Amino acid sequence: MGTLELDGVTKVFPDGDGEVVAVDDVDIEMRDGEFLVVVGPSGCGKSTTLRMVAGLETISSGEIRLTGKHINDVKPQHRDIAMVFQSYALYPHMTVRENMAFGLEESTDLSDDEIDERVTDATGTMGIAELLDRKPSDLSGGQRQRVALGRAIVRDPEVFLMDEPLSNLDAKLRSEMRTELQRLQDELDVTTMYVTHDQTEAMTMGDRIAILDAGELQQVATPLECYHEPANRFVAGFIGDPSMNFFDVRRDGDTLVGSVFDYPLSASTLDDVGDVTDLILGIRPEDISLAGDATGEHTFSTVAEVVEPMGDENTVYIRFEDAPEGETFIATVGGLQQVAAGDEITVEIPEKTIHLFDGTTGKAVHNRELDE
Amino acid sequence: MNDDARTDGGTASETDPGAAAGALSGVDGYRVFLYLGLFGMLAFFLVPIESGLVTSFKTSGGVSGSFPFTPPTGSTFTFGKWGTAFDALGRGLVNSALYAIPATVISALLGSFAAYGITQSNWKPKYKAPILALFVAGIFIPYQAVLVPLAQFWSTVPLEESLSFLWGLGINDDYTGIIKLIVTHVAYGLPICTVLFRSYYKNMSEEMIEAARLDGASIRRIYRRIVLPLSGPMFAVVLIYQFTQIWNDLLFTLVLVQTESSAAAPIVLILAGLGTSLEGQDFALRMAGAFIAALPTLAVYIAFGEEFAEGVAT
Repeated sequence: MGTLELDGVTKVFPDGDGEVVAVDDVDIEMRDGEFLVVVGPSGCGKSTTLRMVAGLETISSGEIRLTGKHINDVKPQHRDIAMVFQSYALYPHMTVRENMAFGLEESTDLSDDEIDERVTDATGTMGIAELLDRKPSDLSGGQRQRVALGRAIVRDPEVFLMDEPLSNLDAKLRSEMRTELQRLQDELDVTTMYVTHDQTEAMTMGDRIAILDAGELQQVATPLECYHEPANRFVAGFIGDPSMNFFDVRRDGDTLVGSVFDYPLSASTLDDVGDVTDLILGIRPEDISLAGDATGEHTFSTVAEVVEPMGDENTVYIRFEDAPEGETFIATVGGLQQVAAGDEITVEIPEKTIHLFDGTTGKAVHNRELDE
Repeated sequence: MNDDARTDGGTASETDPGAAAGALSGVDGYRVFLYLGLFGMLAFFLVPIESGLVTSFKTSGGVSGSFPFTPPTGSTFTFGKWGTAFDALGRGLVNSALYAIPATVISALLGSFAAYGITQSNWKPKYKAPILALFVAGIFIPYQAVLVPLAQFWSTVPLEESLSFLWGLGINDDYTGIIKLIVTHVAYGLPICTVLFRSYYKNMSEEMIEAARLDGASIRRIYRRIVLPLSGPMFAVVLIYQFTQIWNDLLFTLVLVQTESSAAAPIVLILAGLGTSLEGQDFALRMAGAFIAALPTLAVYIAFGEEFAEGVAT
């Protein structure tokens, strides 16, 4: 168990004559026992960050500390870190028992009996006790996943690193393993860094989320903070499914002027905006509601183009009446509300749910209000 | 279409012999030529082996009195040539095994080590590339080009003197030739072994090696516990290839052992002169000898056949 600190960590890959910055000045502090999910689109540097912590990639600049100890130059085998790989990376010629014992045999001086006891314990935790004498090739994907996790658990390391461990499982198994992983992490209370590209995993599993884009850390916060108080446009768009709707607008006095709609702002919101005129208006699909008539300040006449019924809710692709066909945004409305494609509907975009971002820097200038 | 025609024809010929012409019309001309061609090639490749085999069982009179590919008849049949050949080649078999087996095993092992080093170790690519280039260049050096330097090299190495304790034990000092052959074959086999193993290790899961590193294993331990146990199929390929090369090689034995009268003469050297005399060639004896010399390589193929197929497929 330990704390993990990344301080200005940077990774530069040589690329022909030039260089590519894969990870750019990332600062993350993880407290003991924390579950941190590192999330971002592919190529954002999240796996590289994880591999630097593991010691599988060198660090171009910056520092990584494990429980206060500088580990930049410590070899991976001496870092007391266990990693779960996307491909599971089991040793195909060894049985489950041997796979799990390997790490203990190589990194500790435990006797054979102690190793055997710990392996048996871990297989009990993972529910794979009956698989001990099988080879990986005789196991299903889900079972291999469990063995890979068991192999990490049995080491009892200071930090777990997980590199998209669930992405090779089918959807149902994945959500089961998600819950189980959380339970395990809670039980073992080991500091865990978990990399994924799946924002659902990030939202549901992490104590905190670190969002990376193009090698730069965008925000580190709890899942709900990231959702309701995104630091910038990227985070707002990445977290949440269906994702937030964005409209390019220009501030004209106390009104936001879009290409096909005007949106008046109250004084308190205007305070947040300051003197920025080039803005992006963001609104989450579930915050758009159906309204009776278009008389209010923040109600708009629209046309529903496509309706996707999900049962509990409908995902409706709508467009402003004056907007050209195909230029839609998304609203989710209750499953029992009758909306059909082609309907003319009036929607409300409440002012207290909107986000405003600086049009040039993407930084959030105003986030939605939350009822305490 | 053709299938239909054949089925129809087949049924007709069973019930009515008069319809046989109809059955023939169903035979596909392309297939006739295909099978003729295939059988022709089969015969072309097998006749020399068959001729060799039947000749080895003929008496000298039988050889001159019949075609090479006709089997021996009662009076011209004999096992005698095999017996003579075995007596002549017996010591050669032992001598050849003395260097072919160690040289094969050592070159395969060293090749595996070297390939592991240039694929899985974390040396920088700019250091790995020139080393690999040297290995690849080594494959293309023809044996003939190095014969003279090889002879000169061994003449400067005082191997015979430094091994004098062996000769004191009653071992013939000709056996320095065997040691020279082992070292030479290991050196010349190493490049191809390394390149073969390298392609195999390149395809090995990188994440698995990384997992082993994180599990606390050193680079040596990873080799011994992960990479080596998984190298079986490639070892089969390399062992078969190297053994065949080394066992059948005549050039190095000519340079390093030189005469068939030497106590350490390998089988290929004895075979070269077997059945040749002023009176002419004893073909039957030469054929029997050739088969005896080929038996060990055949045995190696059979022993590692299954792994060989797996290794070649990867």
